[in-house]
Amino acid sequence: MTVIDAQGLVKRYRTGGQTLYALAGIDFALESGEFVSIMGPSGSGKTTLLNILGLLDTPTEGTVLLEGQDVTGLGDSKRTRLRKQTIGFVFQHFYLLPTLTAVENVEVPLLLDSDPKVKKRARALLERLGLGDRLDHKPDELSGGQKQRVAIARSLINSPKVVLADEPTGNLDSETGRQILDEFRRIADEDDVAIVAVTHDDLVNEYVDRTVHLVDGTIGRERKNGG
Amino acid sequence: MAGRFFPAALMARRNLTRTKMRSLLASLGIVIGVVAIASLGMFGVALQYSFTQNLGNVGNQLTVYPNSGENITELTERDIRTIRRETSPTATVSPVKTRVEPVSYNREDAIRETIYGVEDPAALYEAKEGRVSPFRSGALVGSDVAEEHELHPGSQITVNGTSVRVRAVLEEGDPFSSTNPDNRIIMPATSFSQRGYSEVYVIESTGTQANETAMGIRGALNDREQRVVVQELGSLVDTIEEQFQIINTVLAGIASISLLVAGISILNVMLMSTVERREEIGVLRAVGYQKRDVLKVMLMEATLLGFLGGIAGVILSLGAGLAINHYAVGNAMAVFRLPNAWYVGAAFTFGVLTSIVSGLYPAWKAASEEPVDALRG
Repeated sequence: MTVIDAQGLVKRYRTGGQTLYALAGIDFALESGEFVSIMGPSGSGKTTLLNILGLLDTPTEGTVLLEGQDVTGLGDSKRTRLRKQTIGFVFQHFYLLPTLTAVENVEVPLLLDSDPKVKKRARALLERLGLGDRLDHKPDELSGGQKQRVAIARSLINSPKVVLADEPTGNLDSETGRQILDEFRRIADEDDVAIVAVTHDDLVNEYVDRTVHLVDGTIGRERKNGG
Repeated sequence: MAGRFFPAALMARRNLTRTKMRSLLASLGIVIGVVAIASLGMFGVALQYSFTQNLGNVGNQLTVYPNSGENITELTERDIRTIRRETSPTATVSPVKTRVEPVSYNREDAIRETIYGVEDPAALYEAKEGRVSPFRSGALVGSDVAEEHELHPGSQITVNGTSVRVRAVLEEGDPFSSTNPDNRIIMPATSFSQRGYSEVYVIESTGTQANETAMGIRGALNDREQRVVVQELGSLVDTIEEQFQIINTVLAGIASISLLVAGISILNVMLMSTVERREEIGVLRAVGYQKRDVLKVMLMEATLLGFLGGIAGVILSLGAGLAINHYAVGNAMAVFRLPNAWYVGAAFTFGVLTSIVSGLYPAWKAASEEPVDALRG
């Protein structure tokens, strides 16, 4: 099933009389359970694409369908609600709240809903990611790899259809990076969640179904992995 | 538990503990503001209370004087009859004559003193020593006079060369009352040769009745010419109490400047905090927090600061109030009177409100940042 279908995405910025194209016409579709990486040099539009796919940003032209629904022109509040319902985010710098424990950090997206089941689910997710003994630790008591696991658990708390990861291994050594990528692979396969990872890290490509190369806001060659 | 029911409060509380010193200093401003407003308010109340206590029950008294501005120097028997007609049947009307005589005590040199002639002093005064009535001869002296010259019933004073026997020393009167006898020498009205009266005391049963009587007397005697001046102690008291109200309001106004400063310091702290936590707030927005959710969390922080400061302020104010009332009224427990509760409550409310209002702009600023911009760093 196609989770995200983006057609003809263009993102223009106007700065000082010049028009910059962050994206210059991109088609991108994502099936559920698919693990895709987006690669490309700095300034190639990777992050812009990820932001548009994650409903954090809107394209200047083109359409975005999320589970078949056109979400292109939606306002901030509706986009926010859709993010909460269907999308998970993982960031390079983890962005955990330093004042909250691991469990509380995982709960954050649904914290204001006051649903007692959320805490249980947060614990289960952390246990599944191998952090059963770190539940009540604050982020500064966790290693980089553990922080990223907490962040992954947070991205899964709302049972998303898509997880969007911006340089998920960028702040980790390669050994820890592999463990994190294993987790992503398992989540894509077991939970049927689509995962998009923007990365510079070639290591990622060993784990993904396909890689999309962006060059100057357009799609370069696309490589399918083994199967 | 609280975290479950007020998740925003949980986040806010944790955020405040992150920079404990800064939060403490910010709410210290609120503490000072609340204490300033509450204790100045209570100080005003205590002053007013001790004033009213001293004043006693004089709201029902009137004094009628001849209007010297119209060259009227004394009130006639006819004026007195008119005054009696205007007063209620239960009122005490005491016309008073005065004359100035050389008086000497204990064979010392004579001093010129005003002698008051009152027909029925028993209606106005009670004796501390001796007896007030019957009063056909001799003199009554006020307590201050008696103390100064060591007079007792039976002592002799010399008035205009004639020896006069002191009949009684009078009880102290209300310090603000025009009938106050403390510094006076009173002799029977029959001993006065002049016919006119220099003032008339009217004591009614209530302040309202006194006010009506005053209007009646003015209407009857000041019809064609302004014959008399009627001084109402009640309205004097009202005027003084109004003055106290004004002073209190001004004091509270000055005190609220400190709350303004506290508000600015909270504004500053919250602004710093939104800048520092830009990415965190961006993440919250990314994972599905609406603008109003972010607003809620940030405002909750400001509210908590306000509550913290407010509660500490109220506790300190009660301490200050105990001290103020102990020294000004002589009864520390007088702090638990209604007007004080009003000032403390108002100070607390203003403290919390100031805090919330100061949090509005930073909270709005944090909430309206685009998550994309915030996460770009």
